[in-house]
Amino acid sequence: MARFLTYPTIAWFFLQTAGFAEEDARVKAFHTDPVDVWGQRFLIATICLGIAILLFNLFKNRGTTGGPASWALLAAGVALVPLMATGIGTLLVFERAEHVQFCESCHITMQSFVNDMRDPKSESLAAVHFKNKFIPDDQCYDCHTSYGMFGTVEAKMAGMEDVYKYFTRTWSNPISMREPYPNHDCLKCHAESALWLKHDEHIAARDDLFADKMKCLDCHGADHPAHPESVRKVVAAR
Amino acid sequence: MKTTAVNPKVAQRILIAAQLLALLQLVLALNFLLNTTGGTLFLFASFGPLLVLAAIALMVGVGIYKYRQSHHLFDMETYSPGEVIVRQEEAGVCAYFIQDGQVEVVRNEQGKDQVIATLGKDEYFGEMALLSNAPRNATVRALKETRVAALGKENFVRLLAVMPATKESVLQTVQARAKEVAAGQ
Repeated sequence: MARFLTYPTIAWFFLQTAGFAEEDARVKAFHTDPVDVWGQRFLIATICLGIAILLFNLFKNRGTTGGPASWALLAAGVALVPLMATGIGTLLVFERAEHVQFCESCHITMQSFVNDMRDPKSESLAAVHFKNKFIPDDQCYDCHTSYGMFGTVEAKMAGMEDVYKYFTRTWSNPISMREPYPNHDCLKCHAESALWLKHDEHIAARDDLFADKMKCLDCHGADHPAHPESVRKVVAAR
Repeated sequence: MKTTAVNPKVAQRILIAAQLLALLQLVLALNFLLNTTGGTLFLFASFGPLLVLAAIALMVGVGIYKYRQSHHLFDMETYSPGEVIVRQEEAGVCAYFIQDGQVEVVRNEQGKDQVIATLGKDEYFGEMALLSNAPRNATVRALKETRVAALGKENFVRLLAVMPATKESVLQTVQARAKEVAAGQ
């Protein structure tokens, strides 16, 4: 009777899980990331396979090993499939950590910044960029990651540190950046664009800006306050 | 006293623990996939690999231990008087060749211990379980300070395969002992 109920229950669980994943993919069909979609599918399949093998092995062999076949099943369930899940999952970790929703999930520390960005009345740099929609997706990640492969790696490592501090409640207030916002993270998009060249101040200070001697935020400050009031204060002070 | 046989139940529990750790890692991955937040990512990315590594280490450890058990090649062991060398109902891993000392073979029938044989120098025991793949049918306990040479199952089977005369002698002994056990029941 237990076996009669166990296998259909497990099958139902897998179908529900796969159904949720597919539904999630359909909802975001307007702009899907194929890496995310296919990574998700492979990971679901790997997890289902791993759980099936482990449960089958646990119920059938109960921790005993009879011969090569039982060892092969054990190795598949304990080593091979979990390692595959770790590999594919790490890929998805890198993908999904770029989304704004992910940044927002740290509600206590980051929610107010995301709210400011999405606020149509806010004139902070983040909000202005968001309204313009020149960065269509992953706005947090696009501005807070430097160019090139190591920019991504650096951002991810710093992100993990932030996640760790969040869940151990060891962050310090006020929340601020580790180092001043580098010019090249502005210039990677703005450098010598038509709109940038239109302003003589940029031409005059071009060498200093490119050498990071003069900061973009010296003039364009109040980039991303938690509360819009601080924007008005900074502008009023100038 | 060095013992060749790990308690099979301990090995079994370790393997179950390894599988449960792997299962937990897969559950963390599923949790991250269905609900991607900082917390689920942190759990999966930091604890996931640790769980997998721990599971693999446990599994490999048991595998190495079992391999070494079945490949003992006349490892010398010494048992004090009263020490149990093999226990009834345990899985058979080695055969033992008595170099010095004396042992008693005790069978437990319906809660009552019965001594069915006493073995001394140049005799051997533990071969029946290796040949039949059945659990030990008796407990063997040292009566005096006893030194034995342990031969793992793989090497024991190989020895019988390459030495037909020895195999014949062992099979005769096994038959005689099986009759004694049956007569005692």
